[in-house]
Amino acid sequence: MGDDYPTLFRSEQMSLMQFLIPTEVAHDTVAELGELGNVQFKDLNPAVNPFQRSFVGEIRRTEEMTRRVRFFESQIQKEKDVVPIRPLYDSAPLLTVGPSAAHNIDELDVTLAEHEKRLVQMNDSYKTLSERTRELVEARHVLRETAVFFEKAETQHTDIRTSFDDSSAPLLQHDDREQQYSSTVQFDLEFIAGTIDRTRISTFERVLWRVLRGNLYMNHTDITEPFVDPATNTETRKNVFIIFAHGDALLAKIRKVAESMGATLYPIDANADKRSDSLREVTARLEDLETVLYNTGLNRRSKLVKIGENLARWQDVVRKEKAIYETMNLFNFDVRRKTLVAEGWVPTRDLTMIQLALRHATEASGTSVVPILHELRTSKTPPTFTRTNKFTEGFQTIMDAYGIATYQEVNPGLFAIVTFPFLFAVMFGDIGHGLIIFFAALYMIYQEKKWARQELDEILGQFFYGRYIILLMGTFSVYTGLMYNDIFSKSLHIWHSGWDFLEPGSNGVSYAVSNGHMYPFGVDPAWHGADNGLVFTNSYKMKMSIVLGVIHMTFALCLQLPNHIKFKRPLDIYANFIPQMIFLQSIFGYLVVCILYKWSIDWSTRDTEPPSLLNMLIAMLLSPGKVDANAQLYPGQSFIQVVLLLLAMVCVPWMLCMKPYFQWKEIQMIQGQGYVGLSHHNGGHRESTDEVLEGEEEGNGRVIVEEMEEEHEQHDFSEVVIHQIIHTIEFCLGCISHTASYLRLWALSLAHAQLSEVLWSMTIEKFLGMSGIFGTIILAIVVVFWFSATVFILCIMEGLSAFLHALRLHWVEANSKHYQGEGYLFTPLSFAKLDEKE
Amino acid sequence: MEGLFFNVNNGFLEGIVRGYKSGILTQSHYASLTQCETLEDFKTQLSATDYGNFLANEPSPLSTSTIADKATQTLVDHFNFLRSNSVEPLSKFLDYITYGYMIDNVVLLITGTLHERDTHELLERCHPLGIFDTMPALCVATNVEELYQSVLVETPLAPYFRDCLSAADLDDMNIEIIRNTVYKAYLEDFYNYVSTIGSTTVEVMHNILAFEADRRTINITINSFDTELTKEQRAKLFPAIGRLFPAGNNALAKADDIDQVRQVCDNVSEYRSFFDNSASGQSNDLGDFGVAAQLEDRFFRMEVHLNKLAFLQQFQYGVFYSYVKLKEQEIRNITWIAECIAQDARDRMHDFIPIF
Repeated sequence: MGDDYPTLFRSEQMSLMQFLIPTEVAHDTVAELGELGNVQFKDLNPAVNPFQRSFVGEIRRTEEMTRRVRFFESQIQKEKDVVPIRPLYDSAPLLTVGPSAAHNIDELDVTLAEHEKRLVQMNDSYKTLSERTRELVEARHVLRETAVFFEKAETQHTDIRTSFDDSSAPLLQHDDREQQYSSTVQFDLEFIAGTIDRTRISTFERVLWRVLRGNLYMNHTDITEPFVDPATNTETRKNVFIIFAHGDALLAKIRKVAESMGATLYPIDANADKRSDSLREVTARLEDLETVLYNTGLNRRSKLVKIGENLARWQDVVRKEKAIYETMNLFNFDVRRKTLVAEGWVPTRDLTMIQLALRHATEASGTSVVPILHELRTSKTPPTFTRTNKFTEGFQTIMDAYGIATYQEVNPGLFAIVTFPFLFAVMFGDIGHGLIIFFAALYMIYQEKKWARQELDEILGQFFYGRYIILLMGTFSVYTGLMYNDIFSKSLHIWHSGWDFLEPGSNGVSYAVSNGHMYPFGVDPAWHGADNGLVFTNSYKMKMSIVLGVIHMTFALCLQLPNHIKFKRPLDIYANFIPQMIFLQSIFGYLVVCILYKWSIDWSTRDTEPPSLLNMLIAMLLSPGKVDANAQLYPGQSFIQVVLLLLAMVCVPWMLCMKPYFQWKEIQMIQGQGYVGLSHHNGGHRESTDEVLEGEEEGNGRVIVEEMEEEHEQHDFSEVVIHQIIHTIEFCLGCISHTASYLRLWALSLAHAQLSEVLWSMTIEKFLGMSGIFGTIILAIVVVFWFSATVFILCIMEGLSAFLHALRLHWVEANSKHYQGEGYLFTPLSFAKLDEKE
Repeated sequence: MEGLFFNVNNGFLEGIVRGYKSGILTQSHYASLTQCETLEDFKTQLSATDYGNFLANEPSPLSTSTIADKATQTLVDHFNFLRSNSVEPLSKFLDYITYGYMIDNVVLLITGTLHERDTHELLERCHPLGIFDTMPALCVATNVEELYQSVLVETPLAPYFRDCLSAADLDDMNIEIIRNTVYKAYLEDFYNYVSTIGSTTVEVMHNILAFEADRRTINITINSFDTELTKEQRAKLFPAIGRLFPAGNNALAKADDIDQVRQVCDNVSEYRSFFDNSASGQSNDLGDFGVAAQLEDRFFRMEVHLNKLAFLQQFQYGVFYSYVKLKEQEIRNITWIAECIAQDARDRMHDFIPIF
């Protein structure tokens, strides 16, 4: 089997391989295997704690490096002007295998640490500088605002003064003194000025008011521009406040409250001249500081640009190193600790490639010790690995989403490539809509190379991932559209119609008469717009969905056969496959034959009415042997129906009893030979090599226990019986409900056709008759509206619904007939997939 | 009936909190944590749990306080998520949980100010769940009256402080009295509030709060031996709820030594084990101090046990309270183990309180 051409029909054959890798080439070997992406390593030390494993030190080191790289990345992202990061495919690779690898990694470690140190230093100085700038800016604001406030107060003040002038109040006594000292300032109140976070201003005010019992006057104004914290890039908005209060105790309290609330206080002089002096000084210092700040920022930026050139490369290397050491932690040391022992699943077909890779790794590392590879025999179920390409990947994913195929089981993903788009198209049949999604898919495929490298957003990414599915869905929809003769709800006149319409009669109804032509392909366009058109298409599509459904289910049922043959289960063929097939065919296969037979008869020439097939089927089940003469489809109908019904009836106990009986006999036979339970398979179950046994002794035992439990399950007789009962009931009832379920093909296709017709008649049709410039403009607008509605409602929404229904038909109706889906996915160590994970 | 509509407003959050709860470290996690040689190992080990990469961006020489801070931060994040997604009455219930932390913060600030510590340093040591807007202004106050008038009056704690306004000046003793009075008022209020929000919640929360109250009562009693606190004052500090109330409280108010406390506790079957020394084999040589330390440990165990029980019932708010408390205990455990690793005291490492 291993030499065959790779196929989607069954998953790859896998082998459990043991690698004996000399310690000195271990790193390079794993790196090489990781590039190849073909080996799934098993954990040989499941009982060992993550931090007690052999390569924890290295992992920790790479983690530290990762942290540094992440730090650079966040710094670059935080930068307001975009710092270019040179993409990976553009940068020179860093050699991490071969004799110089260790040296290179050490060097990288040192470089990263140095860069980090320098960057942190720069950040610090930048931060302190901007902190000081911020303080100065705040000081400037405080100075300005207080100046404004004092000026305003002064004008009011003089007003008040004049009114006070008459009375010789003792309050004015020391006014003279003040006047000697400064002519303009007449305040003896002390004040405190500063800045505080805007969100806190109200709390601040409240607290102060309460603490000082209202003995204060507070004024505050907004600072319009926000302050940006250089480290976190968050904006804070602040307010300038100025508080007047009397007495040192109060002022001390204000200071304390202000400080604990996170306000910054600035010493402001009451004297206007001094204030303007300090304003000038602050402005000058600010200018100096800003130049320094600008230069520091420039330096920092150039550093970041330099880092950005290498960042992608570093990320790549660090990520790979971590994956390598994590893999190496899964390995076991041999007794002398000179060789690493690894076990892993490998596709049998790729063994030569892996051997080549191993040799290559040895050559690259410059030693002559080649890792040894040999196959282990095991009874464990290997992982399921299906080779896909960009075309089949999407279809396989659809099936994997339901369940991973059991190892070497027939893979429904292969058939889904045709059946999935086909069933979709039966529901979505319209040439126009089909073409739209076809071209959309074609565009995505055309852009493939470009988009594959980009980060797409989630929705677009989904569509892009399924581009080949969409392509096929579009193609098939065009085909079914041709069959239904639907293009945007209109019909195509390609050939001569088979019907001629007569002149309308007295009641305005025109009848069509057959003109002897036969419309060669699809539905005759004459049906479009006919009064009984809907009746015709309904009956036609309904029967067609039953026919398609039974064919699809029969096909799915047949897929059991290769499984039974492959896994050498002849009993399942006789006890499951054959009765199931007879059951299905004798009822629903018969229905399909009847449908086809009824279609083939020209009922207008018969003297009986065409019988209803639904009633026929019901009568066949409820009153066997009796067929109403009026509703007879063909002579001898009652006898055939009785025979078919009896056949179906026989199948039920057949399915129910045969398998358990034979299994019971087998158990009896085994016990009769003197074997008991476990010993039966312990002998032949594992011809392990010495190394494996050794591994088992060292803590691999758990795995074996699981294995035995797994085996044991199958021999539990009562479970076989219960399983078989469930299986039988499920199948018999399922046949009925699943056949009915295929009617969704009809329902959705009908809904789609009707919806597109409604859309057409509600929009374009009403405006087609208008003439003149005005009419053209309106028509253009309506066409745009119609087209966008077509794309969004009919193609995307309806398309999604048809997609889901097609999905269900595959998952439930078809897969339940044959698919076990009990496998687990092959997850090899692969550097290519590392990116996707993150 | 309340179960019928519980999920309309709280189903999502209950789901979330139960999810959080299943992230609480289990015995096997602790087993591997205690095997760590260094804090770096510790970090690796924790990254395999629900804590994930919470330490990933910390530069290398880790300190235990960083670990504790970051762990607390995860709890706070979880709590804030719950709080901001909740509606009445759950939001009120969650607020009540924070009041306990607020009281602790207030007391911490007052004590700190009394000993003239740096305000900012004090603010950093406050529990993030109990921070409120006007909290920094606490350090201005010099007596209770002022404290109440200037800051506390607009916080939800105001009614609790009303009872202790009489305490004249602030010293260590008075602060302790204030703390206990306030806490008593808080517990009683919480207890009453819980009674208004549905029978299942009542059942669960009353158990937990009753134990909390009893624990405080016992603690106050034991701590007040040989101090200036008079017996009348002591009696005033006991919460008027709990399983020891009222008879046990009365007896405790008159107790003079630890044996009398033991006798009171013997009346409640669950509490009987608190003073049970025979199991541990260490007899009376521990002295009072040793008994108290051991008692504290047993209280924590009991608390964890009660909080775990809360998760057995659905459609009630107790899970939110219990989650916070369990997580708190977990953080204490983590910090303890980390501290033991840092100080190389491996023999004491297993003295944490396992949760699950």
